[in-house]
Amino acid sequence: MQSVKTRLFGFLFPPSTDTWLAVLRVGLGLQVTIYSLSLRSDWISLLSGTARKVAEALLSLESHFVPRLGWFVASAAQLGIHEEAVLFLAWACLLAVGCGLVVGVASRFSAIAAWFLHLCAAKTGGFVSYGMDNFLTIGLFYLMLSPLPDRYSLDWRLRKSQPKDPQLLGFWRRVLQLHLSIIYFFSGLTKCLGAGWWNGSSVWRALIRPPFNIVDPEILVRWKYLFPVAGIFISLLEITCPFFIWNSKTRKIWLICICAMHVGIGVTMGMYLFALIMIVLNVAAFGPGLMRTEHARISFRPHEIIL
Amino acid sequence: MQFLLILSFSCRDTLRVVAEGPTILPVFFKNFSQKAETALSATLGQKLPASNPVREALNTYLQLAGIEAGYGYFAPNVPAGYRLVFELQYPDGRVEYELPSVSSAAAGLRIAGLLDSIGRTPYDALREILVRTLAQSVWREHPDVESVRAILGSSRLPTAREFKEGKRESYEFLYAYDFSLDNAPAKTNHH
Repeated sequence: MQSVKTRLFGFLFPPSTDTWLAVLRVGLGLQVTIYSLSLRSDWISLLSGTARKVAEALLSLESHFVPRLGWFVASAAQLGIHEEAVLFLAWACLLAVGCGLVVGVASRFSAIAAWFLHLCAAKTGGFVSYGMDNFLTIGLFYLMLSPLPDRYSLDWRLRKSQPKDPQLLGFWRRVLQLHLSIIYFFSGLTKCLGAGWWNGSSVWRALIRPPFNIVDPEILVRWKYLFPVAGIFISLLEITCPFFIWNSKTRKIWLICICAMHVGIGVTMGMYLFALIMIVLNVAAFGPGLMRTEHARISFRPHEIIL
Repeated sequence: MQFLLILSFSCRDTLRVVAEGPTILPVFFKNFSQKAETALSATLGQKLPASNPVREALNTYLQLAGIEAGYGYFAPNVPAGYRLVFELQYPDGRVEYELPSVSSAAAGLRIAGLLDSIGRTPYDALREILVRTLAQSVWREHPDVESVRAILGSSRLPTAREFKEGKRESYEFLYAYDFSLDNAPAKTNHH
């Protein structure tokens, strides 16, 4: 029993450097910045008026305590401030904290503010949210709880911070690794349940369905014999990810394949923000230490170091 | 606790996928999944009244952590999309057609998600409110319009073979809503 406990502790709290945290901070900072800039012209129209009120009313059926932009709009209305001004301020703050995360200024505050503001926007715009928002919430949630600042941040240089507990750093990295493993397993499992991923029709449909139809179907149809191969490859890559990404011998190839798949989704379907968030999460969780495989084994054995 | 929740909600959504089908699994699994999904949802407090504090506390945490849903994107099959067309009628009898428009591709992805929500919701009142919201934004851009008819259709995508034979994406009429300046409730036509 003691041995199991020791092994479990060793698995959950492996000593780790903060390189992964720097990758996560900079990556999510870039993501938040690009997200804000990409929506600058449509931010107010997507998040204001009746659609906001309906989405927030439906959210209240789930919980009254989930952050939403309506809280600020209602408070500002009492001061005579218009909804559009509040939404613009929220957008500007989100852009600012995104940039703050990239350089590592007030890292903890920036991470909490980015998580909070993005969550408000994602929940208020419930009808116009998609998977990317979900993954950005997950990433920012773990980032704000992780031991910031990392040694690559401006905070570290300005404040001459003390090194963080390697085991605590390792714990939050492990949490992210486990979460990603579950995500890919269930994503692959549900794809395997559909006939379309085995015969390739789902790949074809995904690529020609508006608004993902970036590539001309006339070009795509010439490659139709590859769709079943691509469908089976994607399904198997995802469902086997939790088994092979943990093994030092196969981790590199699985990580490269997963990232290549997301680059492919970004390029062929125009979902570049979705691709970026998935690559950031994967590289932060499994990337650092990959080049030095002799030290990079992940196992249940205690005191094994991931560098 | 965090991982139990992630696993439980992922399992629940996978069971829901099997229960709603179609999947490659035999019908037996469909019936089993329906019962298992109901039981798991009840265990997770999702069958409690919305005002129940336990359910509300759990839902709050799930939303804050971003783990309230499973991860079956584009699975088990890629669903059909929806298209909304606005027919703008001017006082002089002129008729123009408009699609919901946004400034960027990033916002375009979000509008596609909104159209999916409009097409899939089983609640007529919610569908009408969301269509009206989009109609209002079109109206703001064309203030001299007398009335707007919003036509919602579901798309039918050709297979690769059908595409090669010349068949293209087609739409099946679902609903039409008539909005006029007097702010009266929309007249709805169903398929």
